[in-house]
Amino acid sequence: MSAAADTPVLELSGIEKSFGAVSVLRGVDLCVRRGEVHALLGENGAGKSTLMRILLGAERADKGSMMLCGRPYAPDGPGDARVAGVVMVPQERTLCPDLTVLENVVLGLEPTAAGFVRRREARAIAERALGLVTEVGRRIPLDVRAKHLGVADQQLVEIARALAQGGAADEHGRKGMAARVLILDEPTSSLGHDDAARLFTRVHALKAAGLSIILVTHFLGDVRAHADRYTVLRDGKVRGEGDPKTTPAERIVTEMLGRELSDSRDVTHVGGYRGTEPIDEAGAEVLLEVDALGGRERPRKASFVLRRGEVLGIAGLVGSGRTELLRLIAGLDDKAHGTVKVHARKGVGLLSEDRGGEGLMLRRSIADNVTLSRRGPFVWKPKEILAEGGRWIQELAVKAAGPWQEVGELSGGNQQKVQIARLLREDYDVLLVDEPTRGIDVASKAQVLSLVRELARKGKGIVLVSSQLDELISTCDTIAILRRGELGPPIPAAEWTEEKLLLEVSS
Amino acid sequence: MMKLRGHADRRSGWADERRARLPRRALLCALFAVAVVACKDKTQAGGSGGAPAGQGKRLKIAVIPKGTTHEFWKSVHAGAVKASKEEDVDIVWKGPLKEDDLKAQIDVVNTFVAQGVSGIVLAPLNDSALRAPVKAAVAAKIPVVVFDSDLQGDDYVSFVATDNQAAGRLAGEAMAKLLGDKGNVIVLRYQEGSASTQKREKGFLDVIQSKPDIKLVSDNQYGGATTESAFQKSESLLLAHKAQTGAVDGVFTPNESTTFGMLQALKKSGVNKKVRFIGFDTSDKLVAALREGDLDGLVVQDPFKMGYLAVKTMADHLRGKPVEKRIDTGARYVDKASLDDPAVKEIMQPDLKKWLGE
Amino acid sequence: MMLSTSSGPRRPAWLGPLIAVVVVYAIFAALTPDTFLRTQNLLTMARQTVVVAICALGMTMVIITGGIDLSAGSLVALTTVVVAWMLQSGAPPAVAVAVALAVAAAVGAVIGTLVGKLRMMPFVVTLGAMTVLRGAAKGLAKEQKIDCETKGLETLLSADVSAPGLWITLALAILVALMLGYTRFGRHVFAVGSNEAAARLCGIDPARVKLLVYTLSSFLFGVAGVMELSTLTVGDPTDSIGLELDVIAAVVIGGAPLAGGDGSVVGAVLGALLMTVIKTGAVHNGMPSWTQEIVTGAIIVLAVAIDRARHGKGRR
Repeated sequence: MSAAADTPVLELSGIEKSFGAVSVLRGVDLCVRRGEVHALLGENGAGKSTLMRILLGAERADKGSMMLCGRPYAPDGPGDARVAGVVMVPQERTLCPDLTVLENVVLGLEPTAAGFVRRREARAIAERALGLVTEVGRRIPLDVRAKHLGVADQQLVEIARALAQGGAADEHGRKGMAARVLILDEPTSSLGHDDAARLFTRVHALKAAGLSIILVTHFLGDVRAHADRYTVLRDGKVRGEGDPKTTPAERIVTEMLGRELSDSRDVTHVGGYRGTEPIDEAGAEVLLEVDALGGRERPRKASFVLRRGEVLGIAGLVGSGRTELLRLIAGLDDKAHGTVKVHARKGVGLLSEDRGGEGLMLRRSIADNVTLSRRGPFVWKPKEILAEGGRWIQELAVKAAGPWQEVGELSGGNQQKVQIARLLREDYDVLLVDEPTRGIDVASKAQVLSLVRELARKGKGIVLVSSQLDELISTCDTIAILRRGELGPPIPAAEWTEEKLLLEVSS
Repeated sequence: MMKLRGHADRRSGWADERRARLPRRALLCALFAVAVVACKDKTQAGGSGGAPAGQGKRLKIAVIPKGTTHEFWKSVHAGAVKASKEEDVDIVWKGPLKEDDLKAQIDVVNTFVAQGVSGIVLAPLNDSALRAPVKAAVAAKIPVVVFDSDLQGDDYVSFVATDNQAAGRLAGEAMAKLLGDKGNVIVLRYQEGSASTQKREKGFLDVIQSKPDIKLVSDNQYGGATTESAFQKSESLLLAHKAQTGAVDGVFTPNESTTFGMLQALKKSGVNKKVRFIGFDTSDKLVAALREGDLDGLVVQDPFKMGYLAVKTMADHLRGKPVEKRIDTGARYVDKASLDDPAVKEIMQPDLKKWLGE
Repeated sequence: MMLSTSSGPRRPAWLGPLIAVVVVYAIFAALTPDTFLRTQNLLTMARQTVVVAICALGMTMVIITGGIDLSAGSLVALTTVVVAWMLQSGAPPAVAVAVALAVAAAVGAVIGTLVGKLRMMPFVVTLGAMTVLRGAAKGLAKEQKIDCETKGLETLLSADVSAPGLWITLALAILVALMLGYTRFGRHVFAVGSNEAAARLCGIDPARVKLLVYTLSSFLFGVAGVMELSTLTVGDPTDSIGLELDVIAAVVIGGAPLAGGDGSVVGAVLGALLMTVIKTGAVHNGMPSWTQEIVTGAIIVLAVAIDRARHGKGRR
């Protein structure tokens, strides 16, 4: 690395921020060099989001200073940050699904003449931006509607848009600098392994072009493989920094958690759940029989048998039809062929991967959400509903002010617990669990997974879908691979290792 | 009272904040009410409202028209104001909120009964639907004078109006004369269930149907409450009967809004001056059209006189003087030639400014 | 009457409208104490609120599911025509009312099927229904108002406190409120409006819930139509044009967001009452009609603005 590469592009020192009495950032220093991938790590609530919002000008720091390329930097809104060349790709998708790729990339910066879009110029801008994020010889078509792209391509379009935004003139006509700092917030959370790897090759290319990239993520593996440096935030303070390639993973985790690795994490590398009561293949009651099941597009063919007390894992890339398979079994979508035979008296329940969109009524209370059911008494007093909600809050140790609190105000992990509470209350025999640990913090993850195990022990049958291969191996009895819509045979989890699973899934 | 919102209560971080905000909603409502009162005072200064109630035994008469935006009702209003000054009574002028809204007019009558005015002067939108509220008024010892349109039964003190059927015949005869007793005629009716215009239409049709060579090509279309709806109906009516090819010789419309709507439609279709057109009631624009020759004639009532006589009759009745049960305020056929006749002028262009202070 | 459970000190949604009604009433009462405070005036206001209030009960349900019903005014007019037509053809009043209510409920079932089963936009479906029903009313009435012997129906809203219409309205309000707050079906109505996907996930059939909601609400519009006939004493196909907007306004003033998932029956009834108080106060004060329209409109926007400010806190 040359000396120029070592000069800091962005320097934050002593940033403090509190909301009311809650102090979120307590003196954060951060230094991002030119042409580096800088990982920002930390559990939920560590202050990462707030720090990024300050960087983008969406919030102002109470104390501290920021320097961008050696000059004081105090953005007064995202427009300012954009002009200064600091842009971000947020975690959730923000493309307009019905606009074309071209329209999405230039959205808000359309070059115009007398109010009319100068089409050729717009196309040039979009092409330039997309060129930065796609490999040579591979093109994302400009005139396709965004919704018709795959998730991975949508992600690339998002990045292209952010890059095009940087350096564009703002609404006051100020011409800005080209993008210099790109913030990627959990860029791989919705991507399968392949796509994530492809994304990182582009990240490396951008880095080589001189861009500084701040990578906000939960995935330690990504950090160790792709980041040049890392900074760990915990409770609003920097708790560790260094080169992730040379720092042992255990140390980084300790810095994040503020304690030694828990046992539940250790299990991940051992492989295979070793329950005290091995499942009696022939004897246990069959709860669910799925035979040659197929949907309109995905899955194409899936067959398996689920017994009482069994946790069946399904591993597959994003887009392999995992969620669709669960929805077909639950009867939420129409199947194209095949059969689903449910022998469970108490039916099949689904834990949705989309907590806010499908799983929960965010604007209603915990009690309302927990007790939402097709069944239930004809007349039900609000008081009793609250009591019921309170009971489940205790049962699952949901962190909430009370059963009347709106679910939308809870953290991701606690929202997930509310969703689980509803399933438990219904007492389904078969639980279809879709990405139960997505977007929740490490401690909640462990709790959710041990709960799944506990339920199986109590005689439920569980189908678990997860992108986290370590979770599958540590939690399931058997794991089946879903590849391009076809489900393979379930194989005991003890026979899998993470590496083997990864290889199978992505081959 | 009761907690009926069902779902479990939520207590949340901003509950306290909400507590602080709630009175603000009430406060803002109060501000609005104050604004309203300000408006009201202005109106009184303008002369259309009554003086504050409760000044000794001053009579307070509620005048309820069918609507408030037609020119016709402004003349009625002026006449009513003139009578109130002469008779030294207060009047409250209040039409239904939406023009020609039957339910709203019933509500207004009921509200005045509840308020306990001295007397009610009413132009009923429907001849049977207003019976019940009028009965209720009479039961509350509030006498009612009906004007403009008839009301079933005889609960009212007096009926002050144009003889509409006679006025319709006036139009019919004028039309027959203009057409030389032969040709194709269209009648665009006003609205379903409006007694006064139905009588005008009937009077007109009586004459037309007695002439064997005059053919009635359409008499089942209604222009509706507004000028806009009348205009649209007129346009399609003229198209449907091929007015451009000269297939229509005469048109009659039974009130101001249909007349004006039809006038616009005739002009737009380019057949104004070619089709003989007789309308009913008057306004500045209709008078101008008469001068231009776009209109051949208008049957005009005397709305000013109607408003004047209705209030005067009520005042007389309240003071114990005997009044006629039926008072005809007369109608007149006006064409371009008679337009400058001083007697006609007084009917057609009463001095609204003098009485309404606009 | 305390139906509320002691479940917490949270301010109910209808408190705002209640304060507004009391304050506006107090202002008008202060301006015209000799007339506005008369018992007769209170009764008149109550009677004039009946139609909007009953419609608002149905509209509240519809709005909680995230829907809207623009056909309320037309359905009220159609009901007046059907009742008048039946009476004119010699049917006893009970039969006439029963037939009219059945027609209204059937209309609601059709709308509910289109919205629920066929997943059509409620706005579009009811916009169409608004015109269809208006036309049907005019056709049935042969473009006339239908005169009829009301055979006792006019006493539904007689001028004293024993008027059955007032008590029917109160009873219906309590019934609907209890249904929404205390029954399984009521909870499903809120669930469908809060998050339809979540409701489906829990095994609730949103199509069925919507079918029931639209059928019930149209039935209530039918009841309102019978009350309207009691006032009009004629079947009027041109009646209640734009009534649905007053009704929606009442529900919105009562604290229901048009996005669905929330709503209060008591709030909606108070919203209806607020508009009547303004209307009546305007007459008593001799205010011209236009000021009353401005005030009513402003209060609608204001109610929503305050609600927005209240909920918007901490959200983006």
